[in-house]
Amino acid sequence: MSPELVLQQALNGISFGALLFILAAGLSLIFGMMDVVNLAHGAFYMLGAYVALQVVQATGQFWAAVVIAPVVLGLVGLVIEPLLLRRLRGRHLEQVLLTIGVALVITDLIGLVWGREARTLPFPPGFDRSIDIAGSAYPTYRLFVIAFAVVLAVVLYYLHRRTAIGALIRAGVDDAEMLAALGVDTDRLFAVTFAVGAALAGLAGVIAAPAFGVRPGMDVDALIFSLIVVVVGGLGTLGGASVGAALVGPAETFGKVLVPQFALALIFAIMAVILLARPSGLLGRIRISR
Amino acid sequence: MTRPTKASLSRGPRVRRWAPPFAGAAALVALFTFPDWSASMEGSRYASTILRDMLVFAVYALSLDVLIGRAGMPSLGHAAFFGGGAYAAAIAAERLGTDELAVTLGAAVVVAAALALVIGALTVRAAGIFFLMLTLAFAQMAFAIAFQWTDLTGGSNGFAGVRRPVLLGLDLSPPDSIYRLVVVVFGIVALVVWWIARSEYGRALVGVRENERRMRALGYDTTRLKLSAFVLAGSLAGVAGALSAWSFRFVSPNDVGLGTSVTGFVMVLIGGAGTLLGPILGAGLVLYIERVLSSAIPYSQTVLGIVFIVFVLAARQGLVGVAVQVWTRVRR
Repeated sequence: MSPELVLQQALNGISFGALLFILAAGLSLIFGMMDVVNLAHGAFYMLGAYVALQVVQATGQFWAAVVIAPVVLGLVGLVIEPLLLRRLRGRHLEQVLLTIGVALVITDLIGLVWGREARTLPFPPGFDRSIDIAGSAYPTYRLFVIAFAVVLAVVLYYLHRRTAIGALIRAGVDDAEMLAALGVDTDRLFAVTFAVGAALAGLAGVIAAPAFGVRPGMDVDALIFSLIVVVVGGLGTLGGASVGAALVGPAETFGKVLVPQFALALIFAIMAVILLARPSGLLGRIRISR
Repeated sequence: MTRPTKASLSRGPRVRRWAPPFAGAAALVALFTFPDWSASMEGSRYASTILRDMLVFAVYALSLDVLIGRAGMPSLGHAAFFGGGAYAAAIAAERLGTDELAVTLGAAVVVAAALALVIGALTVRAAGIFFLMLTLAFAQMAFAIAFQWTDLTGGSNGFAGVRRPVLLGLDLSPPDSIYRLVVVVFGIVALVVWWIARSEYGRALVGVRENERRMRALGYDTTRLKLSAFVLAGSLAGVAGALSAWSFRFVSPNDVGLGTSVTGFVMVLIGGAGTLLGPILGAGLVLYIERVLSSAIPYSQTVLGIVFIVFVLAARQGLVGVAVQVWTRVRR
């Protein structure tokens, strides 16, 4: 590999990792608080992308979509948590199964409403060109994705560490039962957490759409990658999501170049090694395997 | 879960003890001869195709229920073994130059078992949600291989024109023959699963499901028990995969994909986990929705999702559990 190619692939890897961070942060947040692996996370991501498609078609404004899609997904989360998950509070496995049903319904309805062909979303104005980096052209949109994820990470970290809602979420992750005993309305907290997690999935969908396209099956890819990220990085923490994403993103892009036929298998090999060496993931507190 | 225990069954009158096996045998005979006695009816050919597919997936669901219903291991990666078996049967027939059933079916079982051994070794120590998550992720690795190893599997185009098997010189490729093969294999697998459920081994698996710590304290090697169940279930799923490859004469990466894993899970839960009849009924209902209902309405997948949600919310014991509840209420 030439140095230019290495640099280009490194940037690709980092921008893919940045996207994975946005995606996995939501999954990890929901798990940390509710002990539920939301298997509809991929479907939420996909819905975010299609909502963005609709918004851009209607208004021509990509930036409007960046706001509207997460809001729509947040509302979906606010409906689903009280309507379905709350009925099975404390029965985590059943809650996970519910999210499978939710994913089936959402992906099918997307197909009915928007059709089952692959679609594209144009790059937003200002980020539709390439710039020269070390002698080769590189699309500015991917640089934007990296910057966006970094800013989001800082904002999330601030909310998590320095605000009242962040304190509640941290307390809920530690011991939701004790929090309820202290008089906090955990029903509302769980609903808000689930909504924020869904909104993050939707946000990832919008951000991914111009670079990766909008198509059926994108939900499964997103779900698998976000699961790998949280398994590698550690479940339930923002730090875990960021470390996992920083590792999996570049591994995927370089794998594709170096061993094209077994790129995905390489990712799973990394996951297997980490599971064997560190059963709680790199930064996690919860042991995934004994 | 309220189910009649074995003790209460065996103390009942002799009729009740012998009724289920007799009904099962009668149902198998009726299924086996279906193409004959339905020949004069309209749509017989179509009906036997649908029945065949239902039975293929019933084998698949039965194999998955060994994990979900007996051992309490909620695997969301079972398609790896179904698809692995399907590809193995298809590729073995083409590369080994023989269509002999023992060879191609054997290849399917060996490949599925080997895959299950690898994935199981990495996942069976995890419990509950983590097991589900890990099986899902690792099964996707099998999907990735099927999707990307184009020389062997045909990649995203799939493997078309699968050669149907020959049994000791008897050509099984006509539709009626392949249908009968599916019925016979289904009967054998159902018998195997029934026998496992009654055996000491099956009870030990239930013990692991109910209280793994206590089983360890009693001296059982629970990790080995769970791994053996995983490999056994994987091998049976490989059999289902081979049947699917012969039935459709086509294998695609979708057979290894998450969709197929989810379908199996939905079948077992809708039908009733931990019962013999449940996964069979579940497979029948899901196939009905996916094959028959889908030609009438465009949103059949949504219907399936909602049915599944309703069962998880309100009837966790599935169709069989609901039937048992209704039956006990009626008798009272």
